[in-house]
Amino acid sequence: MNRVVAIAALLACSAAAANDERAQFNYIIHCQGCHLPDAMGFQDTVPRMNNFLGYFLHSQDGREFVIQVPGVSTARLPDDEIAELMNWLINTYSAEQRPESFVPYTQSEVGELRRSPDADPLRTRTRILRAIAVAEPALANKLITGYIE
Amino acid sequence: MKWLDGLTEGAVRGVAQRTSRRGFLGKLAGAIAGGAAAIPLLPVARGDGSNPYPEEEGDPNSCDYWRYCAIDGFLCGCCGGSANSCPPGTEMSPITWIGTCENPVDGKSYIMSYNDCCGKSSCGNCLCQRNEGDRPVYQPRLSNDLNWCLGTESQAYHCSTAIVIGTALDQ
Repeated sequence: MNRVVAIAALLACSAAAANDERAQFNYIIHCQGCHLPDAMGFQDTVPRMNNFLGYFLHSQDGREFVIQVPGVSTARLPDDEIAELMNWLINTYSAEQRPESFVPYTQSEVGELRRSPDADPLRTRTRILRAIAVAEPALANKLITGYIE
Repeated sequence: MKWLDGLTEGAVRGVAQRTSRRGFLGKLAGAIAGGAAAIPLLPVARGDGSNPYPEEEGDPNSCDYWRYCAIDGFLCGCCGGSANSCPPGTEMSPITWIGTCENPVDGKSYIMSYNDCCGKSSCGNCLCQRNEGDRPVYQPRLSNDLNWCLGTESQAYHCSTAIVIGTALDQ
């Protein structure tokens, strides 16, 4: 167990050392054009991340999915900056929705996941959110508000 | 101090509308606009990212104006609006192309948002196609060939704005 704690602490340290300014810049350049400045997305057009993204982290499939969606997996950024950006995004816009057990993404995890992008993200999204709703019924009514069903 | 901004913009715009875009007065208006931005009384803070409005020079209704480095469309300034605003009767698209352009005045890169104005047919004036950094449509986020009238009531494209929304990081 000690080793697990040590690894978690290391991960927490690397997350703390992340460059928030660069993460925000990357968000503006690579995401904001569609997801909008406050990550609110747009009804029926662009998924909302503000107060929503963290719900995906309640399942391993969801954790993988948010890196495999086209906008993330094909973004013209190196793996470490994607990890930094996603951790910043989750902590900035959806800290209340993420589970307490959330462990920040790492460069190697992101690199691995990007190699298998999701080919049908709308379908996968619905499947994942349904599974989370079944596993955690208290979240069920909150999972239908992310704009794209 | 917004009134001073408005007054300056109105005066410059008036001159620009009454004279040839590429004429001497057009250039003078650009110089006035650039000079006005240098007056420290203007309500701008530079370099802290919270209010990124830079010093500028040039003619905002000319394709070679610095903000248009990646533009592909009609300049709203030639269509009854401005580089920052849509012409009356059109709606600004909230979903937008974002990139960076280098400002020759200070040599810094700024984050640009090319919000399209939508709801009327193509303006037809001042077509500019500089396309620096433009990528094919298989990278839709980086392509300016797409119709970016998304999230608006109408998808009819009229013209494009070029709004400075931040300072780029030195990379």
